[in-house]
Amino acid sequence: MQPAIETRELIKEYGELRALKGLSLTVEEGEFFGLLGPNGAGKTTFINTLVGLVHRTSGDASVFGYDVESEYQLARNKIGLAPQEFNVDRFFSVREVLIHKAGYHGIPKAEATERADEVLKRVGIYDKRDERFDWLSGGMKRRLLLARALVTDPDLLILDEPTAGVDVQLRHDLWDLVTELNEEGTTVLLTTHYIEEAERLCDRVAIMNEGQKVTVATPDDLKRRGTDTITVDLEPTPPTAIDSDLGPYALETTVSGDRLEVRVDEGGPTAPQLLHDLEAAGYTILDLEISRTSLEEIFVELTEREDRTVTRSDDERTESERASDATDGREREHENEHEHEQERRAV
Amino acid sequence: MWTVGSRTLFRREMLRFLRRPKNTFLPPAITNVLYFAVFGVILGGRIDQIAGFDYILFIVPGLIALGTISNAFENASFSVFHGRWNEYIHETLTSPLSYVEMVAAYVAASAIRGLIVGVIIAIIGAFFTPITITHAAFLVTTMVVIAVLFAGFGIISGLWARDFDDLTVMNQFIVQPLVFFGAVFYSLETLSPLWRQVSLFNPMVYMVDSVRYGFLGYSDLVPMVSLAVLTALTVAVLLVDVYLFKIGYGLTE
Repeated sequence: MQPAIETRELIKEYGELRALKGLSLTVEEGEFFGLLGPNGAGKTTFINTLVGLVHRTSGDASVFGYDVESEYQLARNKIGLAPQEFNVDRFFSVREVLIHKAGYHGIPKAEATERADEVLKRVGIYDKRDERFDWLSGGMKRRLLLARALVTDPDLLILDEPTAGVDVQLRHDLWDLVTELNEEGTTVLLTTHYIEEAERLCDRVAIMNEGQKVTVATPDDLKRRGTDTITVDLEPTPPTAIDSDLGPYALETTVSGDRLEVRVDEGGPTAPQLLHDLEAAGYTILDLEISRTSLEEIFVELTEREDRTVTRSDDERTESERASDATDGREREHENEHEHEQERRAV
Repeated sequence: MWTVGSRTLFRREMLRFLRRPKNTFLPPAITNVLYFAVFGVILGGRIDQIAGFDYILFIVPGLIALGTISNAFENASFSVFHGRWNEYIHETLTSPLSYVEMVAAYVAASAIRGLIVGVIIAIIGAFFTPITITHAAFLVTTMVVIAVLFAGFGIISGLWARDFDDLTVMNQFIVQPLVFFGAVFYSLETLSPLWRQVSLFNPMVYMVDSVRYGFLGYSDLVPMVSLAVLTALTVAVLLVDVYLFKIGYGLTE
């Protein structure tokens, strides 16, 4: 089975600016894959390379095994794109826009009309079918972009910031819809700024920064890479220098009144030891809470860390950074294995 | 080549101008009524016959050629540029259409708009003077070639333009001067030898002369040579169009 998306050492340069710096990424068929990264990370450039709106400088990129440039027609026929920008034909009604898009993909007019009506109903704007794009509200415009991506029944659905600027209800509607599509077998590539969105929807996420892949992992794996915080209410009020009463598991402690916050690698297994140490030091535990690191915090940490590695020597890097690099190495190995598997099949 | 995809884009391009006759067909109709009235009737009545034809009849083929190529050019350049400006040309670019199909659809629709305008001008001209067609097959071939040629030029203009002013620059400062010095309103025979030679560098001269030959049977040049040159130029321009789409000039970066 060919991966839905496969890129190797993908580079895109705009003069002096290198927007993609050797990006290698594999998205398997049927996956719900998230692409996270700050503005300018290269997410949209990556997507545009796949759909033909950007010509790569070097490297390989294929969609379901079809090279995006030498076999562009086959590759593009697989893709449905809902872009960030409202790039919709202003001359025609919403319904006609969809009929035209389906027609460009070789779908005869009668079937294209049926499909247009079907997807308009599915995204909930069928009653606006005879309106022009400019007359739709912002939320409806987003729905139309999704409908346009779906009207060709794509194997790969690419959603570039699909919920940017939409209200909570619509966001949830869109989430439900794309989840449903993914469950029906459509591979989904989602770029988003909303960490919650990636955490809720994606099987795996890639974090990008400055045109490079920082890491690829499941949302749960990513969260496990972060630290946890154990918050305990104590009696009597602890001193600031309580660290000496605790073991090496306490990476950082903060005291605020009678509340102690201890940052640890893993909250669950560490909590009994912490409680034991505190009781041994003469404290009474009034309350305890363990909070896991949010994906957002991990994201910030990873993208900031990527910046820092530019200026820091290897000796100064943290354990978690090294662990992250090791994970990347494993991913590369996994991708190489995948490549070898393809070669074996080709033979 | 003429797949469901290219037919859809062609249909889209046709509907774009057919649904707006007030913007696409009425203006050239009014302009040509004025041309015929002023140059043909009011001034033409005081001008001697040219090559044995009344002046108004002599300018009919040139005005038809002028209207055809101007509208073919404007349609292609506007459609491509407007699509770029509002980025909805991405709908086409991200589709599995080949670059040849894309160019074919844009050019075919634009050429047809030019030809429709040419027919409208001919009908208007017929109200002012009886029009006869001497070499029908040659005329039709020439009209199709020049309409396609200027639709092809329009694609290049639409890809090159960075804003709407650039479109105006191409039309007003390049196309229109070439057209007006393309022997629409005069015969090359009326020029001095020097200016006659200079005029031969203007491709419009060949177009107007060929169209005039088709209508009146009169030509300053060798019609078949003109048609051959125009056809070769048309093929070259279409190849450039396809190449520009392929490299994404004005489209992808």
